[in-house]
Amino acid sequence: MSEIHIEIDNVNAYYNGNHALKNISVKIQKKQITAIIGPSGCGKSTLLKCMNRLIDLTDGVTYSGKILIDNEDIFARKTDIVNIRKKMGLLAQKPIPLPMSIYENIAYGPKIHGTKKKSDLDAIVEKYLKLVGLWEEVKGRLNSPASQLSLGQQQRLCLARGLAVEPEIILCDEPTSALDPVSSQHIEQQLLKLKKDYTIVIVTHNIHQAMRLADYVIHLYLGELVEHGLANEVFENPKEERTRAYINGIFSPDLKIDSEENLKGKMCPYNFVYAKQALHNLEDGKILKIIVDDPLAVTEVPRGMEADGHKVLIVKQINKKDWEIVIQK
Amino acid sequence: MNIRRLKDNISSRLMLAATVFACLLFFSMLIGLYIRARPILSLVPISDLLFSSVWGPSDGKFGFLPFIMGTLWVTGLATIIAVPISLLSSIYLSEYAGNSLRNAVKPLIDLLAGIPSVVYGLWGVLAVVPFIKNTLAPALGVETIGGYGVLAGGIVLSIMVFPIIISVTGEVLRSVTQDMREVSLSLGATKRQTIKHVVLRKARPGIFAAIVLGFSRAFGETMAVLMVVGNVPKVPASVFDPAYPLPALIANTFGEMMSIPLYDSAILLAALMLLIVVLIFNILARMVLIKIEKGVI
Repeated sequence: MSEIHIEIDNVNAYYNGNHALKNISVKIQKKQITAIIGPSGCGKSTLLKCMNRLIDLTDGVTYSGKILIDNEDIFARKTDIVNIRKKMGLLAQKPIPLPMSIYENIAYGPKIHGTKKKSDLDAIVEKYLKLVGLWEEVKGRLNSPASQLSLGQQQRLCLARGLAVEPEIILCDEPTSALDPVSSQHIEQQLLKLKKDYTIVIVTHNIHQAMRLADYVIHLYLGELVEHGLANEVFENPKEERTRAYINGIFSPDLKIDSEENLKGKMCPYNFVYAKQALHNLEDGKILKIIVDDPLAVTEVPRGMEADGHKVLIVKQINKKDWEIVIQK
Repeated sequence: MNIRRLKDNISSRLMLAATVFACLLFFSMLIGLYIRARPILSLVPISDLLFSSVWGPSDGKFGFLPFIMGTLWVTGLATIIAVPISLLSSIYLSEYAGNSLRNAVKPLIDLLAGIPSVVYGLWGVLAVVPFIKNTLAPALGVETIGGYGVLAGGIVLSIMVFPIIISVTGEVLRSVTQDMREVSLSLGATKRQTIKHVVLRKARPGIFAAIVLGFSRAFGETMAVLMVVGNVPKVPASVFDPAYPLPALIANTFGEMMSIPLYDSAILLAALMLLIVVLIFNILARMVLIKIEKGVI
């Protein structure tokens, strides 16, 4: 199969004596998307921060074990962590533009690594803004502050900034949790495109996102590695009861569907309106299944339904174009 | 219902009155000083007052240039000494030092800010002035008037300004979020690069404000400076020369020698000048701050 890119070997981490990661050993495949899932506080972000050693910045943290990236142990004392970090782009939970212009945000990384020539920097800025689909939107105002962009644009800028230092790995820490559905979708599409050149590790609490993106899944629970493996195997047939329970929190395979609505061919927001109408006719606690084919609806309808106080039980791709969304009133 | 509305009305008016009163105070001071300074302004041309260096009140000569220059020299020197040292130490404290060191040093610096200025003045007379007289001046081969002068004033003043700049800059640096540092580090920047290009850049307006705050304290500081600058009404030519800053002039002479015609008016003019200069500083600082805020931050 494919190559191993990151090898995590018996990693333990403690926050002020609190055991945050317990004997984690797992291998991450090259040029694949690996999703780290699990409930809040299970150590997902800690594991990610170990990989680029940003964990060093946290007070009162100790860790042990080995993380090998290209066979170099990044926990070793003699390792030059600055060079290791250069190999890894980071996409944080919310977009954090540096306090400078759009242009300088992208040029910052290449500049500190020694690219001086203006023409080279120009080319880099254009290349990576194009790669994340932001070029057309910002090319007329490259010198305005990055903070003036919308949140979704900022997050794509941050992605481009991370890519501009030519990393091999992209680490994402819940990269869409602060974004609206359309921007989230944009980022997800970018990540799928980038998979062919980069190893991507994404921490997410959104299991639907993990299903849409991941090739491999790592399930953490209270600092322990519960299960890991190919995404479709883990999602469809988890070996561990805890993984099954976690996934079933969102998935209930033997649901009794009370009503079904086919909303294929309906665009947003009409599919949402129809779904609401269908729900209106049901009693509380009854279950409605809808089929949609508008990609926007996949994120938009569940979000809207949850905002209205309904419970979204399943969001599942059933074939190439169609998605199934199951909602409990 | 009506009583509640009445209370609401009254309280808002009361607060408005308090606000207006506070604002009016400044203008009443400005106007009061102007009225009292008018006699000298109507007799002596303003260019003579500002640019003549002859100070002979008994002959009716009131040239303020020595005092204006004295203020600028002492304040400028204090700022030159204080800014780099206090910036470097606050960067060290907030970016490099461990929590325990920071927690130990912070109250010490706050304490420094609370020391009465007359104590600083005494320290200047007892420590700084003899050091300049006995060690520094002979080593450099320059003449001083017993060690008193611009240098002594600048050193004492810079130490009085430290705590302000250090604590305000420290607050500003700590307000730069950890995420921002993480972003820079994750791009492979070193700690120094991160601080220089990201943290300091983000904190720039705040650091600027800290320096201006320190500078305005230095400008108006009277007691400590008066005790060590020598108080000779002559434009200083070097940092070893004595000087006579405006606040020292006011403090030293107001209430005395009032029998000399126009003397009282001249001193009030000095006060007016000080007020106007501080005002101009504040306006300039605000303008730069607004400009920085509008620009790329």
